[in-house]
Formats: sequence, structure tokens, C-alpha cells
Amino acid sequence: MPPAAGDPFARRAPSGQIGRRSLLKVMLAAGAAPALADLLAACSSSGSPGAAGSAAPKIPSPTNPVRWPLSTKHPAIKAGLKPRRGSTLKVYNYADYLGPQVIKSFEKEYGVTVNVSTFNDEDEALTKIASGGLDLDLYFPSYDSIGKLVGADLVRPLNHDYITNIEHVWPQFHDPWYDQGWRYTVPYTVYTTGIGWRADMIKDDIGAMSNPYDAFWNAEYAGNLAVLDDWHTLMSMVLLRNGIDNINSTKQSDINLIHDQLMKMLKVTHPKVTITMYNDLPAGQYGLAQMWSGDVVNAQYYLPKGTSPEVLRYWFPEDGKGEVDNDLMVVLAQGSNPVAAHFFINYMLDPKVASKNFGYIGYQPPQNSINPDELVADGYLPKSLRSATVLPHYFDVGYRLLQLPPAADQAWHQVWQEFKAGA
Amino acid sequence: MTAVPGAALVPARRRRGPGAWARDPWRKPRILLGITVLYVGWSLLPVLIAVLFSFNDGKSRTVWQGFSMRWYYGDPLRSVWHDPTLHSAVVHTLWLGVLATLITIPLGVAMALGLDRWRGRIPAGANFIVLITFVLPEILLAVALLFVATVLQTPLHLGTAGQVMGLVTYQLSYPVVIVRSRLLTIGKHYEEAAIDLGASPMGAVRRVLLKMLLPAIFASTVLVFADVIDDFVIVRYLSGGSSTEPVSVKIYNTARAAPTPALNALATVLLASSLLVVLLGFVAYRRFTRGERRSIDVFAGEA
Amino acid sequence: MPDTTARAGRRLLWPMLALPGTVWLVVLFVAPVYVVLAVLFGGVDPILRQPVPVWNPVHWDVSQFDYVLEHIVGTDGFFGPALVRTAVYVLVASVLCLLVAYPVAYYTARFAGRYRGLLLTLLIAPFWISYMMRMLAWINLLQNDGLVNQVISLGGLLPAHVNWLNGQPVTVVLGLVYGYVPYMVLPLFAGLDRIPAAVQEAARDLGAGRVETFRRVTWPMSRQAVVVSLLVTTLPMLGDYYTNDMLSSSPQTSMVGNLINNSVLTPGQTGQAGAFVMLVLLVSVLPMLLYVRASRTGEEVES
Repeated sequence: MPPAAGDPFARRAPSGQIGRRSLLKVMLAAGAAPALADLLAACSSSGSPGAAGSAAPKIPSPTNPVRWPLSTKHPAIKAGLKPRRGSTLKVYNYADYLGPQVIKSFEKEYGVTVNVSTFNDEDEALTKIASGGLDLDLYFPSYDSIGKLVGADLVRPLNHDYITNIEHVWPQFHDPWYDQGWRYTVPYTVYTTGIGWRADMIKDDIGAMSNPYDAFWNAEYAGNLAVLDDWHTLMSMVLLRNGIDNINSTKQSDINLIHDQLMKMLKVTHPKVTITMYNDLPAGQYGLAQMWSGDVVNAQYYLPKGTSPEVLRYWFPEDGKGEVDNDLMVVLAQGSNPVAAHFFINYMLDPKVASKNFGYIGYQPPQNSINPDELVADGYLPKSLRSATVLPHYFDVGYRLLQLPPAADQAWHQVWQEFKAGA
Repeated sequence: MTAVPGAALVPARRRRGPGAWARDPWRKPRILLGITVLYVGWSLLPVLIAVLFSFNDGKSRTVWQGFSMRWYYGDPLRSVWHDPTLHSAVVHTLWLGVLATLITIPLGVAMALGLDRWRGRIPAGANFIVLITFVLPEILLAVALLFVATVLQTPLHLGTAGQVMGLVTYQLSYPVVIVRSRLLTIGKHYEEAAIDLGASPMGAVRRVLLKMLLPAIFASTVLVFADVIDDFVIVRYLSGGSSTEPVSVKIYNTARAAPTPALNALATVLLASSLLVVLLGFVAYRRFTRGERRSIDVFAGEA
Repeated sequence: MPDTTARAGRRLLWPMLALPGTVWLVVLFVAPVYVVLAVLFGGVDPILRQPVPVWNPVHWDVSQFDYVLEHIVGTDGFFGPALVRTAVYVLVASVLCLLVAYPVAYYTARFAGRYRGLLLTLLIAPFWISYMMRMLAWINLLQNDGLVNQVISLGGLLPAHVNWLNGQPVTVVLGLVYGYVPYMVLPLFAGLDRIPAAVQEAARDLGAGRVETFRRVTWPMSRQAVVVSLLVTTLPMLGDYYTNDMLSSSPQTSMVGNLINNSVLTPGQTGQAGAFVMLVLLVSVLPMLLYVRASRTGEEVES
């Protein structure tokens, strides 16, 4: 790359003229700015979604169930339609969260091409969906986004006629508190958030400690651990470590506590912050990680040849008092193929398909045909990972990650931003 | 070039101490040679190893488990041929390369010609902006264009259109800079001779100047194409879902998740395609400029 | 008659050639800067916390910008460490790049002889290899069971076992060097090649040793090329975030590019991303001006 050419022959205007000219230019600019502003305002995207209805969002919780209003702008699809062969279904999901054979068999059966785009975390996903330029059909959120999605009119109500396989799903999901009458959502997977480790890399039995969460602040494991790159999940772990049950706290003292302990964790143990534990732990990149139950189950397939799955361990509170959640499937309003989206949802709820998907992604589907007590016997889990099973009663006693009110959400995100900026 | 000019005067095989050897200004530059060789090795060996592992029989990218083509077309689910996300990435990357280059080069060459001859403050300002985009950190432009795509209703949408527009903006400085420096060396004589002989200004440009600029135009075409195929930040911010994610974004996403040798295979396929394009262009270039210029130097920006 | 119309036609020709490119850059580079300002000084929608731009400067709200500025230094200054870290990494990486690139460029310019073409091809090759692929190659090598650890521990004899990919600043800096050094080699080569060999030989004929020749002849004549290539390498490095993401994934090596990338897609923090963009732009304006000036003086020297 040669040094760029300036113009050695450029004439320079005499200085007096420069003064007058630039003054004129400044005056023109000052006059033009408001006009430009009006022009740009005219070009703006037709108002941000939901800016008109800026009432405080309804926040569902187990003690405050919500029945969402049906969208008027994006009504449910009519009954009796079939997906067009040759059309495309655009799915928006985490990476490696849908079995490729499952996708291929759906494609073969209905002649629809499935196109999977991935996101790293829900904040990113919501931003891209809200930007409106994308035309996605199906989205896999967790229930802390439902309020925002419905409030901003981004989702389409489901037509239950298409989703007959709902009968195979655990009864508690037929009328969940976050979406009474399952107007917008069906459950996808259930999971717990606990601690996974490799017995051959960590000599202590993390599960046997009095407070296993302390391990993440233990200098003995410095440089050898990872935590989840998900703000609410990681920050809640700090609260649970301190015996605080309300992992959706809006108290400033709790938020300050999270801040101080997170920064301490950075200093003491320098964790990696990622969501790829299902690959890194079996690869030996680190020995200890905060993990989702499905990831540790999935990890057995990523172990190198010759390493037994029995080295993988998982801990979750025996009494079920830990983070427990489920992911959902929703049909986005912006999509152009909602019929295929309905068929896909119904397809995923079929017991045989759900089992196959479970085998691939490691996350347990809430299917009646899959008996949680029999998962080890049925070969889904090695004995050492028995604690990665998600039992239905966890949902009665466990703690859920709920949507936070805007001010608290902002405060939590600011702590997260500081954490990610490093010390 | 300078071989070792004084060598003939130094008697061969004379024993000298290491001190004298170090001080001799005419000795062969073995240290420099060593550094250069080490650099080339360090620069290219990791890539060769990555290409090698794309032919690995197992899922590992660190342990060799035998030779196979399974990640290219063998594996029915994960190979580049069968996995739609992977091979669509290659197609999209090459398509972006062609589109962006086709727009950038004519725009840039015309701009170079115009800026070189046009006097005044507007061209000086334009020149300034071009130089800024040459060294600008890419993320600044990417974020700015992302804002434009998401808050304004313009032809700049997320997806291929937005990506091409962003790429052209970022790459425009390449042909401008390269062609302008070549123009400076050429000077005005040939054009003026042509005009004196009766050609119109446009004709002089077309029949004389452009032919002389061909090496520089060719060099900038190749560089722009290579840079566009390789681009990451702009195409990632302006992508509209997985069908508009080029290979660089796929590698980034998958490398941080669960990479298999299919990723190495994908990168190798792209490498082979871009080498092919460059080779074809190079052959075409040699045909156009038989024996005129020392070819390779042009790529380094030699005027 | 034909003479004056020809001259008038010529005068119009150049602006017309330069105009499309200029308009393109103004619309797609200069104007988006204003959009960034409108988002930075704008608001947030209450439900999804997406950015709501404010176009009229009269209504601009500086709270988001203030928030960023307040948190750079002082007790609450949590952005500070990342900014300082960026400066340190980029500085160290640039110096290392120079130390590696200068000897290589010097050797190629001065001593390559008939291997010059081959050497230049090898030096240009990294441009045709995707940056992501080169990083991917290193990720494979640096894994805990990868080649680097195997070599260091001499195949398992020694207990050396470094977690290269677990948040090590060394890995990130070396990754930056590996990624950006090809951008430095070529302009350095072009600049060093312009130094006439005769001058150096004259110095040696007059009795100067190698070090002195370098210090008093070669280095001063190559200074301008060094400045230009440093800027071409350093400025883009400022916006890099993906090298850190791929090689480290840990907050303690985060750079300003990561700050931008993290906040762009976080609801409620998009305006802050705009603030960082403007800050990086302001910080790099001075070096960019330096680059523009250095390129101009170069041309004057050459002609």
C-alpha cells in the first residue's frame, strides 16, 4: 500500500476569503440543521414498536399468573391450512439447540426448507427481532421475554387446532402462569442451572461441599473455571450463594452485593464467560463450570475417544431449591410462514421426535412419555449425571428467572456491563 | 538488486574471528534471512496445519485420526456439501465478493482520476474522507451503518444489500489510493500528447490512461476482492439471519461453540476459491500486459 | 474553437468522474455519523428499551454520553481499565509487529535478489487467507491438548501445561500481532524499497559499520514509511473485538471493541455504544490526521 497522494498542486485560497466563506457555511449549516432534522424524522422507522402503549408491562410470576390479550394487529392463522412445499421456515435459536436429523426429517416430511439463525443471548435476539428487518418465523425464548414480546406486539397467537400434540406435554404446561391458556407459547425444554465438573480435573467433590457455589470464588480453581454468559443466570447464582431466595430482587442492597461479589470473582478466579460448556468441558479447557443441566448431558457426546462419561459430574440442590426454568417456542408476527411454524411446533411436540431431539441436544423435553426417574436406565444419562434429571416437583419449589421491572432491569444490566468490561 | 557488491574484492575462505565477522558490512545477511524464513513459517504453518486437519477422519481438530474426505462431502449431516448453513456461507461470501468488487472498482477508479485532476476544496475534502476510511477502525463504520439500517427507512436494509453497501464504503479507499499513486508517477504527458493529436478528453483517458493504469486497477481489484471475502465486522453487524452470514461469521460463531473439522474444511474451500479467482485474474492480467510491468511488485503498491 | 471547448470539457470531466464516489462516501460514511449522534443523544423506548433517535440537536439529551464519561475514571470508573488495556495491548502489539516486520521487509527489499517475487507472494499470501481462518488455526494449536502444549511439554515429558485460551493477555496480544503484522510488512517493504541502495553503499564505503549505517542512513530515510505502516496497522487494531472473543472470552482481557459490541445489542445500552464509537473516533482523529500528513509529505519527497 503506497502512501496516499495528497494534492501537491492544490491552490490555497487567500486567508481573507476563508474567513467570510466559513462564516457563511456555518450560518447555512445552522439553518439547515432543523430542516435536516425534520427530513430525517420523516425517514424514521414508523415509530418504535409499542411506544404508543407505554403502560407499565405486566410481569407474570407463579403467584401472579397472566392471561395475555390476543393481538389485534397479528391475529392467529386460520384453520385447515397446509404449509407450502418449497417455502422456507426461518428459525431463530441458540446454536446446537435443535437436532440436525430432526430438522432434516421435518424438511423431508413437509417439503419445507428450514433455515436456522443463531443468537448468543436473549438481549441480542430481542434487539434483532425488534429491529424488524429480519422476517423470522419461529423463536425460542425463555418466559422472561414474554411480557416484552407481547407488549411490543411481536408475537402471533397460536391456533391450537394445529398443535394437537400438546396432549403429550406435562399437564402443568397446559395452563402455565406465564401464559394462561397457552395463547402464545408451548414449552420446548426444561432444565436446571447447577454446577458441572470433571472428576479427573477437580479433585474435590464439589457436590459434597457445604456451599458448592463458593467454589467459584475459591482461588484453588483459578483459571480453571467458567461461568455462564447470561446476565440473569450468573447474577442469580451470586444471590443463591448468599442464601437470598429472591433471584429477581429489585433491592439496591442485593444489586450492590452482586456487584461486589462478581468483581471479586473476577479478581480471584478469572473465569471464562461463555455458553459453550458442552464443548469446552469435555475438551478439557477447564474443569469446573456453572452449567445448564442439558449442557452437561450433552457433554458426554463431545468427550474424546477413550474418556468415559463417568468423569462428568453435576450438582443441583437435592431439595430442588435452585434455578429451574423452561424454554419456549413462539411464532413471531414478522414471519411470512406462520403455517409452517405451527406444523414445526406440533412436530417437535411429537413424543418420538422429542426423544430424538433430546438425544441430540441433551436438554430434557417435558414429555409424558419420558420418565425422569428412568433416564439413566433408558440410557439418556450416565449414572454420574443422575442429578441432571429435571423432576416435575422442582417446578413447585425451585426459583425461576422472571422478567424484571424496567428500572431494576437497567440496574442489573449496568452491573453486568461493568462485569464484562473487566477489572 | 543489490547482491553483495564487494564480494569479489574479498578473498574467499579467509579465516576471521567472530568479531570481525559481525562488523563486516558486506557479509551475507544470514540473520535477516533467518528472521524472514521464521516469519514466513510462523505466518503460514498454522494455516497449513488447519488445512491438514480438515481431512481428519475423526471429530478432533487436534488429534490426527486418519485421512478422510468426510467433512467435505462424506458426512451426510455435517459436511460442507451436506450442511446447508455451511455451503450457503461459501456461496454468499463469493457473491458478496463479486458484487462489492464490481461496484467498488469503477467507482474508485473514476474517483481517483477525478480527484487527481480536480482542484478545489470539495475534492480536497473528498480526498481527506477517503484517507480517513483507509485507516478507520471497522467497527465504527459497522455500528453507524447498523444504526442507519435499524432506525431509518432507507434502501440500506439488514441483509445482502446492506452488507454490499457497507463493504463498498469501507473498501472504496483501496482503489482510490492505489490508482492515485500510480497516476502521480505517470504524469500528464501521455494524455496531453493524445489530446494534441486530436483525441477528446474522455477518449484520451479511455485509450491512453486506463491502459497505463491497468496494473494498478488489477492490483486493487484483487486486493478489494480478497478483503471483502475476508470481512467480518461489517457483514456481521449488517447480516439478516443465517442465510446472509458469510464464511467469516460462520467460523466465528462455530469456533466459539462446538467446532468440528467441517469448519476447517469450510475455511479451506473458501481459501481454494479465492486462490482460484486470484490465479484466474493473474493469468488474465498477464495476457493484458504482456511484458510491461514486473507483476508482483504492483500488489505491494509499487507504483 | 476546438481548443477551448476541449479544455472546458476536460474541466467538467474530472468533477463528473469524482462525484459518484464522493456522493457515496458522504451518504454512507459522513451522514451515518450524524445518525450515531442522534442515537447517542436520543432516548430509549419504554418496553423493549430499543434506541429512539432524536434528530433535532435542540432536543438532544446528553445523559447517555454523560454516563459513559462519568464511568471512565474515578472510583466509579469501570470503563477505564478496558480503555487502558486497549491502549496497552495495541501499543505492545504494534511495537512487536514493527520488530517483526521491519527485518522481513528490509530483507525482501534489499537482499532477496531473484527470490523477490516468491518472497513477496509468500508475504502477500496472508491477505488471501481469511483472518478468521488464521485465528481458527491458532485456536486449534493453543487448545490444552493442542500442538503448542505438546511441543512445550516435549510430548509429555515436561509438566508444562499452559491454559492459553483462558483469558491470557499474552495470547490476545500475540493474536493481534499474528493477525495484523501482514498489514505492516507491505507498506514497509514499499517504503524501504524506495531507499536507493547506492546511498547505503556510499555510507559503507566511507567506513560506517552496519549499526551506524542503519542509524544514520537507513532509519531516517525509512521513518516516513514506518509512520505510515504503523498507522495502517494500529488504527484498525483499536476496533478489534473478535480476536479477544475467540482467543480469550474472558472479561479481564476485554478491549474497547468489546465494550462497543456488548452494549450495541443490549437493550438500553445502545446509546452508550454510540458514545464509545464517538470516543474512539475522537481518539483516532489525531493519528488519522498524522497519517494524512505523512502520506502527503511522502509524495513531496518522492516527486
